[in-house]
Amino acid sequence: MAVVKLEALSKRYGGNAEASVRSMTLTIADGEFMVLLGPSGCGKSTALRMIAGLEPISSGTVAIDGRVVNAVPAKDRDIAMVFQSYALYPHMTVRQNLAFGLKRRRMPAAEIEKRVASAADRLGLGPYLDRKPHALSGGQRQRVALGRAIVRSPKVFLFDEPLSNLDAALRVTTRNELIKQQHDLGTTTIYVTHDQVEAMTMGDRICIMNRGEVVQIGRPLDVYRAPADTFVARFLGSPPMNLMSGVLRRNGADHAVEVAGAVLPVTGFEAGLLAPFADRPITVGIRPEDIYESGAQPGCSAPAAVSARVAAVEPLGAETLLVLSLAGQAEECVARVGRVSAHSHGDAATLYLDAATLHLFDPQTGRALPRAAG
Amino acid sequence: MAALAERHPGLAAWFGYIRRIPWLAFLLLYTIVTGGPFVWVALMSLRTTNEILDAPYALPSPAHWGKFAEAWTASKYGVYFWNSLIVVGCAVVLLTLIGAMAAHALARFQFRGRKALRLAILSGMMVPPQLLILSLFQILLQFGLYNTLAGLVLAYVATQLAMTIYILEGFFAQLPQDLFDAARMDGYSDFEIFWKITLPIGMPAIATTVVLNFIILWNEFLFAIVLLTDDDKRTLPLGIMHFMGAHQLDIGMIATGLMISIAPIIVLYACFSEIMIKGMTAGAVR
Repeated sequence: MAVVKLEALSKRYGGNAEASVRSMTLTIADGEFMVLLGPSGCGKSTALRMIAGLEPISSGTVAIDGRVVNAVPAKDRDIAMVFQSYALYPHMTVRQNLAFGLKRRRMPAAEIEKRVASAADRLGLGPYLDRKPHALSGGQRQRVALGRAIVRSPKVFLFDEPLSNLDAALRVTTRNELIKQQHDLGTTTIYVTHDQVEAMTMGDRICIMNRGEVVQIGRPLDVYRAPADTFVARFLGSPPMNLMSGVLRRNGADHAVEVAGAVLPVTGFEAGLLAPFADRPITVGIRPEDIYESGAQPGCSAPAAVSARVAAVEPLGAETLLVLSLAGQAEECVARVGRVSAHSHGDAATLYLDAATLHLFDPQTGRALPRAAG
Repeated sequence: MAALAERHPGLAAWFGYIRRIPWLAFLLLYTIVTGGPFVWVALMSLRTTNEILDAPYALPSPAHWGKFAEAWTASKYGVYFWNSLIVVGCAVVLLTLIGAMAAHALARFQFRGRKALRLAILSGMMVPPQLLILSLFQILLQFGLYNTLAGLVLAYVATQLAMTIYILEGFFAQLPQDLFDAARMDGYSDFEIFWKITLPIGMPAIATTVVLNFIILWNEFLFAIVLLTDDDKRTLPLGIMHFMGAHQLDIGMIATGLMISIAPIIVLYACFSEIMIKGMTAGAVR
C-alpha cells in the first residue's frame, strides 16, 4: 500500500535536444489503478522506468509513501514490475521464476513455498509449476509474469504494456483477470498502455501523455466527455472525435457556430470564454455517436441538420459507421449510427448533429473551451 | 506425378530415392574425404611401423593395443598429454570467465569509451600470432615465465580472448534487456545477474567458445614450440613432432600419439555438441 508522488519528473537523454519526459507531476493514491496512456514514444514507459528505478532521473523527484526514492536502487524500492515481453527467466521453471525474487530477500524456504503456492493457486498456475517458460502458452506466461509480481507483495505494481503480446480474445479475458486481481489485492498500480480501451476499462484514473508531457489526468469517462485538447479528443474514442473547422457567431446574448453549412446553437459555455472567438474560426468537435440519422431519435436533445455526402458505409453488425464528406471540411467525418443504416455509398444525406454535445477548441492552441459547470 | 503416386505407390517411392541419389553421393564423398584419413590413422595406430610400410592400407592383424600403453609411458605421451590438458584446461577456464564477463559488460552497460574499448579488444583478432611471438618471448622472459606452463597459459588467454569476447558479446547482446531489468527489480546485483542470468542463458554460446578454444589451443604449435624448451613441459603437438626425425619417421608411433591427442576433442564435442546445436538452432531465449 503506498502513495506514489511524481514531482516535476523529467528525463533527458544525452545528445537529445528534446526531453523524453518533461516536468511530469502526478500523485497516485493508495490502492489506485492509474493508467499512463499515450502514443508510442510519448514518454510513458520512460516515466514508468524512472519510477521503477531502472532509469536515472534527470530532474524532479519520485516519492513513495512520502520518501523520495531518486537515489534508492530499484531493488530497494519495494516495487514489482510486469514487462511487455514478460521477461521470464527461460532457464528456470515456473516455480523458480516465482521464487527468484523472494530468494534474494533471504526469505525462509517455507515462507517462499507458501507464497508461491498461494500465487499459483490465485492465478491457476498450479499444474505448470515445474514447466519451463517455453512450454507455456502466451496467456500462461503472462500469468507467471503477474505471479512473479504478486508473490513479492510489493507496495506498488508497475505494468508496461503487459497485454500487447496476447491475441485479441485472450487480451480481453486477461484484462478482466488483471482488474480482478488488482481489486482483490488493493495494491497501488501504475499501468502503461497505448490502448485506449485498456485505459478506459481498467483505470481508476488515466493520465494521458503526449510528447513527454502530461496532457490530462482524470477518471476515464470524465476525460472522454471533456477532453482537455484536440490531442486527447482524437486519442480517446474509436472512431475518434470528429474535428471540424467552424466560425463562431454572436447573436445578442447567444452564440452559434457555423459549420459545414449548418448553424448550431452553442449552449452551456460561459459567454466570457466565447467572446474572444466571436466571428473568428473555431475548432468544433463532435463524437461519432452524437451524429444521428434522424433528428427524432432518443438521446438527440438539440438536433441540427447538416447535409453531407456518404463516402463510405461500414456495417459492423452491432453498429454502422458512416464516413461523411461535409461541405467546406478538409477531413471526413464519421458517424456511428444504428445497426442498419438507410444510407448507401454516394448518397446525399441529411444528418443531425446533437448541438448539446459540441466540443469547442481554440484552433491555435488546440485547448478545449471548458463547458460551464453544471 | 500425384496421379502416378496414387496408382503406383511403390514406383513413386522409387522416384523419391532416385531424386535423392546425387545428394547421397555427395554426402558419401564428403564423409570419405573427411572421415577417411581419420579411419586410416586409427588403423595405423594399432599397427607397427614395419607393418605399415609393408602394406599402408591393410587392417591391423593382430591389433597391437599395447602400443597405446607404450606410447603413454615409454614415448612420454602421458607427460605431454597432461601438460596439454593443464595448459589448455586452465586457458579455457580463464578465457571463458574473463571473456564472458567482458562480453556481458560490453553487451549490457553503456559507459563512456565503450565503443573504443570494444574496438581495441576486437582488433586483437587482426594481429597474426607470428607478429606477437617475438615480443611475447621477450615479455615472458622478463617476468620469469619463459619455459613455464603458466606462461603458455597466459599467452593462450591473450591470443584467444578477442575471439571469445566477440562470439559471446554477439549472443549476450541478443538477450532481451527486460530479463536483466526484471532481475534488478527482483533485487539482484550486477554480479549476481551475471552469474544467475547471463551465464546459464548464455550456455549455448559459452559451450561454443569452450569447444572452439579447446580445439584451437589443443592443436596450437607455434607458441608452444617457441615458449617451451624442456622436454617435460612439452604439449602434445610438440610431442608428436618429436617423433618426426630428420632421417627416420616412426609412423606407427605418430599415429598412436595422434589418436591419444584426438580422443579428448571427440569426448568434448560429444558432451557439448547437443547444447551447441541447441543454441545455434532454437530461439534460445523466447
